[in-house]
Amino acid sequence: MRPIIQVSGLEKHFKVFKHHRGLWGSLLNLATRQYSVVRAVDGITFEMQPGELVGYLGPNGAGKSTTIKMLTGLLVPSAGELRVNGFVPWKERQAYVARIGAVFGQRTTLWWDLPVIESLDLLQYIYQIPTDRYHQNLAEFRQLLELDPFLNTPVRSLSLGQRMRADLSAALLHDPTLLFLDEPTIGLDVVAKERIRQFIGHINRQRGTTIILTTHDLSDVEKMCERVMIIDRGRLLFDGQLSTLRERFGGKRQLVVDFAEPYEDVSINGAEVYKQDGLRATYGFDGKEITASELIGRLSTRYRIHDLEVRAPDIETTIRRIYEEGLLESTR
Amino acid sequence: MRLYWELSKLAFQRQITYRAATLAGLVTNLFFGLLRVAVLMALYGSRSQVEGISAADAITYTGISQGTIAFLSLFSWYEVMNSVYTGAVASDLLKPMSYFSFWMAQDFGRAIASLLLRGAPILAAYAFLFDITYPRGVGGWAAFGLALILAWLVSFSWRFLVSLAAFWTPNAQGIGRLAFIVSWFLSGFMMPLRFFPDWFISLCYLTPFPHMVNTIIEVYLGLLAGPQLVAALSAQAVWVLVLIATGRIVLGAGLRRLVIQGG
Amino acid sequence: MKAWNALGIYHRLVSVKIRGQLQYRLSFLSDVIATGLITTLGFGTLALVLQRFENIGGWSLAEIAFLFGMVETSFGTMDMLFSGFDPQGFGQHVRRGTFDQLLLRPVGITVQVLGSEFILRRVGRIAQGLVIFGFALATLEIDWTAAKILYLPVVFASLVCFFGGLFITGATFSFWTVEALEVINIFTYGGNEMIGYPAHIYPDWMRRTFTFIIPAIFLNYYPALFFLDKPDPFGLPVFAPFLAPLVGLGSLFAALAFWRFGIRHYQSTGT
Repeated sequence: MRPIIQVSGLEKHFKVFKHHRGLWGSLLNLATRQYSVVRAVDGITFEMQPGELVGYLGPNGAGKSTTIKMLTGLLVPSAGELRVNGFVPWKERQAYVARIGAVFGQRTTLWWDLPVIESLDLLQYIYQIPTDRYHQNLAEFRQLLELDPFLNTPVRSLSLGQRMRADLSAALLHDPTLLFLDEPTIGLDVVAKERIRQFIGHINRQRGTTIILTTHDLSDVEKMCERVMIIDRGRLLFDGQLSTLRERFGGKRQLVVDFAEPYEDVSINGAEVYKQDGLRATYGFDGKEITASELIGRLSTRYRIHDLEVRAPDIETTIRRIYEEGLLESTR
Repeated sequence: MRLYWELSKLAFQRQITYRAATLAGLVTNLFFGLLRVAVLMALYGSRSQVEGISAADAITYTGISQGTIAFLSLFSWYEVMNSVYTGAVASDLLKPMSYFSFWMAQDFGRAIASLLLRGAPILAAYAFLFDITYPRGVGGWAAFGLALILAWLVSFSWRFLVSLAAFWTPNAQGIGRLAFIVSWFLSGFMMPLRFFPDWFISLCYLTPFPHMVNTIIEVYLGLLAGPQLVAALSAQAVWVLVLIATGRIVLGAGLRRLVIQGG
Repeated sequence: MKAWNALGIYHRLVSVKIRGQLQYRLSFLSDVIATGLITTLGFGTLALVLQRFENIGGWSLAEIAFLFGMVETSFGTMDMLFSGFDPQGFGQHVRRGTFDQLLLRPVGITVQVLGSEFILRRVGRIAQGLVIFGFALATLEIDWTAAKILYLPVVFASLVCFFGGLFITGATFSFWTVEALEVINIFTYGGNEMIGYPAHIYPDWMRRTFTFIIPAIFLNYYPALFFLDKPDPFGLPVFAPFLAPLVGLGSLFAALAFWRFGIRHYQSTGT
């Protein structure tokens, strides 16, 4: 299969104005102006196959949304090659955007004052969606996303979750082959998140829509994506299967212990104390060297234990470790 | 007191942060000033003076009125309204100071920054381009300074009062817009009030508006002698008191409404 | 076909906007009145002051009303049609990133911006401009010829195009700076204010700027000389009053070219 997205050596540089601080600084800002160049995206290479659902992760300011802006044709790259869906996005904007969908969690594509259904009707016209196809899609989304209760409500009066459901429908009405989701679950409660995730997974499986998803909610990734890309300071730190990430960097399991009485020194052979907070201590241990029951045995001979819990390495800890310890710096 | 000083300082800094905006504002104010000079000179024709205002005075008048646009926020000021609409008002009310003083301190910093960065350069540009007039002696400058401060107080307490409409209606910006437009025409900002028919002047002086612009101009140009000067400055002071008192009453009613309706 | 489609989309977008504004009838009405108030009060000020000064640069109140009414009416019309390009509002779209949403739709960007706003309350300004223009027509005894009658709507349309060009230019500047956008007011509101008065009251440098650099003088002053049968004080060629459509369309097209350039710049820098 030919890849749907081909990116090589992609870069984007911005000029940034340096601010001075304080009263004197603000006077200085009036008089002088200094710029520095920021490499928001600094040489990224990857490919995506049709039908993939990829999580694109990174802390704030890592270059996630700059990448997405280049992929959607909003920004022209400073350097590198970019081919999506057979197009160079920024060169053939109108033809290109007709075949993609995009949802930016922070803002809506819908018309603020209009009832949802009228916004969708307007989009049918704008994307020139054949009428029967439009109704077919609309019926499906109404059912899957339960749009009916607020179909006639103006967008400005929708809750965040409702708005996201409406926006997802809007982005998919014209059967895009590729869907960009920027923080689709931001600010939603657990139930709403789950509904959105199920829908995204469903679209990916049933329609074969290729989806690239940026998020900083890692449970999004754990529940939906097989492949993840991690970006930090403009560079791709990891690109591969989620399971590989876990194996390589998942590292230690955790044991959380609540002691029955306070101890000053809670160290133990075979485990490392991550955190000690009052009566509670968190240990990290390597499952290959010591089993959980062995460790608990050792602990209970030395301390009086009230309660305990064993935790598997979750992706959040994994990624935090990658950032904090610069684990991937060397593998680049 | 230290709190107020800090608030003013912050507002001052905020105001001078935007170099491009300041420069753009200056250029715009100056351009419109030149436009107004041309219109006034066309009106004057061959007259050397009208109602005690010489041609040079008239030119100076446009400089002063353009220079006070930013200082008095003559075109727009929706900060209080926005704080009501965004709900920021709730946390402002928790601060250990009166809501009125909280905003007055900030507006003071903003006004002083505007006076220095927008007012003074415009007057300097006018001095360079035209043969403008100046207040007579130290006394003249002192009277002008006092009139400026009183004008700012009238202007602020008026703007604050109008902003309180936000407690009652979701469309207070429309009311604000209307209030600003009316103030341009009745304050002497468009034309010195002396050029108008007498009935219109009397009408203007029933409102607080002439005390924002027209008074500072007449004081600057030295059109008011001894007792007239004292009367003009006192009239400004009286309006300040009236507007502040009204503002307090209305604010109280607005806050009660806010508490009862929960915003 | 493509142009037809664009027109259809424009129509749909605009009707959405209009319906939205008519939802709140009372606030709409008060907005209409407030919008026109500046026009009326501005003219009223001049009328009151002229009781003391009699004329302005040799022109009577009614003659000024001819210029002023024409400019206000056409500026108001432009302000309504080109609301989407209003530099202030458009600058906000760019800053908030909502402009990006338009770039993600498979429709020409100019049509979308044009259709993104349609501020109906500007009819207040148009109406009050027309009243002032009507006052001029009723007071002045204009010697109407067939040429004058045919040329009048052309002048109006040219003014609308010219002001539209200014708005588009202003909107384009917001791709570079949002802070310094106030300068645009010089050209839009300043230009509007300026050509409301006869050009001979301005100092030479100002008048030359508006003759040779931004040729606004041909849109209002020279046509007015023609309609009112006044002599040209500057001795330009006899066809000067008839340059209005050329200048109007020319500035609109120049502005659109700059707009395209601005969008390319935006795509290379973002904001």
